[in-house]
Formats: sequence, C-alpha cells, structure tokens
Amino acid sequence: MSNQDITLKVEDLHKSYGSNKVLKGVSFEIRKGEIKIICGPSGTGKSTLLRCLNLLTPPDRGHVWLEGEEITDAGTDIHKVRQKIGFVFQEFNLFKHLTALRNVSIGLEVVKGIKKDEAREIALEQLRKVGLEEHAHKYPGELSGGQKQRVAIARALAMNPVIMFYDEPTSALDPQLIGEVLDVMKKLAKEKITSLVVTHEIGFARSVGDEIMFMTDGRIIERGPPDEVILNPKHEVTRNFFRNITRLYERSEQ
Amino acid sequence: MIWKYPLLLRYLLYIAEGSVWTFGLVGGGLLIGFLIGLSIAVGQVYTKTAKPFLDAYVWFFRSTPLLVLLFLFYWGVFPALGRKLSPLACSIVVLGLRSGAYQSQIFRGAIMSVGESQLMAALALGMSEIKGVLHIVLPQALRISLPGWSNEYAILLKDSAICFALGVIEILTRTRFVVMAAREALIPYFFAGVLFLVLTHVGTKLVQIVYERTKIPGLIWRM
Repeated sequence: MSNQDITLKVEDLHKSYGSNKVLKGVSFEIRKGEIKIICGPSGTGKSTLLRCLNLLTPPDRGHVWLEGEEITDAGTDIHKVRQKIGFVFQEFNLFKHLTALRNVSIGLEVVKGIKKDEAREIALEQLRKVGLEEHAHKYPGELSGGQKQRVAIARALAMNPVIMFYDEPTSALDPQLIGEVLDVMKKLAKEKITSLVVTHEIGFARSVGDEIMFMTDGRIIERGPPDEVILNPKHEVTRNFFRNITRLYERSEQ
Repeated sequence: MIWKYPLLLRYLLYIAEGSVWTFGLVGGGLLIGFLIGLSIAVGQVYTKTAKPFLDAYVWFFRSTPLLVLLFLFYWGVFPALGRKLSPLACSIVVLGLRSGAYQSQIFRGAIMSVGESQLMAALALGMSEIKGVLHIVLPQALRISLPGWSNEYAILLKDSAICFALGVIEILTRTRFVVMAAREALIPYFFAGVLFLVLTHVGTKLVQIVYERTKIPGLIWRM
C-alpha cells in the first residue's frame, strides 16, 4: 500500500483545555475509501478530535497529514484544508437564513468561486442524492430534523471533499428520523466516500464500518473490525459500553 | 388667543418644514451610527486587541449628555482640529457618533444571539472568518436587530430636537421662533409634539414592514 492511498494520518495528537487533558496522544490512519467509526462514552474527546483534525480547534501537539500534506504545519492554509473535509455536525448547523438549496450552494459560490447558475445545478444534484430535491426552496425552520441533517450532508458533499467527518450525526434526532439519515450515510459508504464517523449506531457501524476505534479518556484503547470489537471486546470499559448500547438498541428494536 | 393671528397656518407650515432638517439630522445620524455601530459590534465580538478601545468609545458616548457632546464638538473639538463645521453638519456627526455607541450594543446582542455554531459551520466549509461573518452571521444578525434598531430611530428622532441649541433650524428651533413672534405657546408646542409623534409612528411602522418582509420562516419571532 503506497502513501498515496492514505487519506488521513494522525500521529500522537494532544489537546488540553487549561488543566483538562482532552486528547492524550491519538494516532490512526484512514485509507482512501475506508469508513472508520469512533465510539466511546461522552466527554472522552471524540468531538474535540474531529475539530482538531479540521483545525476548528488548534491541537497542542502531534501531527496530521491530509493526502500526504502535513496540515499541522505552521504555514498551512487552514481554509484550503477545511474545504477538503466535509463536516457534519450533531446539531446540523444549517444556515438559518438560507433555503436548503442556498445552504448547499453558498460554499460553492463564496469559497470556490463557482458561478451562481452552476452552483445551483450542483446543489440541486446533491439534494437529489439525499432525496430532498422537492424541498430545495424550504428554509431550515420548515424542515424536520432528519431533513435538516440530510441537507447538511449534501452541503458538505457539494464541496467535493476528500473525506467526510460526521460528529454524532443522529444523536440530536427523534428515533423515527434516524433511519433516513443512516440510509443516506450507508448509500455514501457504498460509494466508497472516505469517512470518519463518530456514532453510537452500532447497526450502522457493523454494516458499513471497516474499523471501530473505541475511545475513552482521550485515548483510543481498542480497535478492530466492528463485529470483533462490539461482540468480543478485550477491555472491561469497552465491554460495558457495548453491553449497555446493545441493551438500549434491542429495547428500541422491540 | 390664536384666532387673533391669521398667520397661524403659515406659522404651522413653517414649523412643519423643519421636518426636513429633522430628517437630515436623524437620517445622517442613523447612517453614521449604523456604520460605526456595526463595526464596533463586530470588533467587540470577534477581536481581542481592539475590544478595550471599542469598549471605551461606547462607555464615553453613552455616559455623556448629548448637549455636552454638541457643545464640546462644535466649540471645542472641531475648532481645535482647525475645521469649524456648520451647526447642521456638526450636529449630524455628533448624533452619529453617539448613536453608533448605542447601535453597537443592539448589533452586538444580535450577533451573539446568532450563535457560534453558525460561524463554525461556515468555517468548516472553508470560508474565511470575514466571509463567514459577512455571508452567514450579519445577514441573520441584522434581521434580528431590526426591532431594537427601530427603537433607536425613535430615540434619535426625539433627541435631535436638542440640536436647536446649536441653531439648526429643525422643528423645535422653528417652533421657538413662532412662539416668540406670535406670543402664543400652547398651539405651536402642541403642534411640534404631534409632529414628532407622527414621525415616530410612521418611521417605526416602516421598519416593522421591512422586518415582516425580510422575515425567514423559523429564524425570528414576531416584533
């Protein structure tokens, strides 16, 4: 496997807020087309990790390479880096004053300098992909949570990123709306769109994840194929975590 | 009494014409205040180095009586700068400087209520901070600030009357002339009061119409 195939490489990443050490040396890599899942209890630095990786939060120490280029280098153009990373937030963060269509097209126009008409076409195409073409004219306030998150995915995809980050994309949704978002994410996974997904949806993890990384207390303590980590975890913490999740999962399945 | 004065109608028209000067004062003051206020608000929310200076500006102009500011700038600051302004121009500048301090707090509150997550989403798309503020934060913040801003219009309109002290021939100055000439106070002052009332009402209604027209479903609540 050549270096060309490694989309994201993270080495010994550290981040503290004051005396609170959130990340204590995280390392991993993602090859092109891979879907990696990050699981772990809340407050263990999963969101901070994603935000450090696209430099929304500057990491204290460590290195990150995106397509072979070190983005933790002092001279990096962080706006260029972020263009290449599609970011989907837990709370959607759609631009509230813009229609679904404009939410998707504004990045193309303002960041990439694409002409309005062309940006509109691309945006419509992306909305079609997430099944929301007929809602293109609606404002976020007029959409359901699931629809909002699908628009947010379309907005990120429209920029044609080399990797997608999902930060607990279904955690803010009502149970009956989770499915539509996961369906879109599964569809994208089948298209081999390189992704890093923070989620507790173990069904999703098992069906499309290439690897699960289990994080606790600022470190990745266990990693491996989803089935193995979920069904046969080595660590006590991991075992408890997945036992609880599975129990919840089964309850909601009934 | 007033019926002794057949000139009454002409007197009242003369007062009403003062609206033009009042509009000049309020329009100019609001515009200057808007530019200053918006810049200060953005600076206060997004910068660390400029913030103490901006805070000091706001503190100064909010804690000094308007009349003192008018005299200070007309007799003191501008002559000291070697550039004596006309009473009208000086009044507009002072109203603008002061309104900027008040408007900045309206915009600051509005920007903060838009929330950090909107800017974060803009940055995540690859926008620069400036583009994010221009394209994402301000369009929302300006809409949110409209109700507070219409209040600023109403206040500035009434405050503008104090510019009679520099001899700007706006509504109040003219009313005083009429009172002196006609030796009748009740009707001219009453008329001036009604005039301000009408201007306040019409102006705030206009802002309200703009607010309704630019309302985004799910973004803002009613005025």
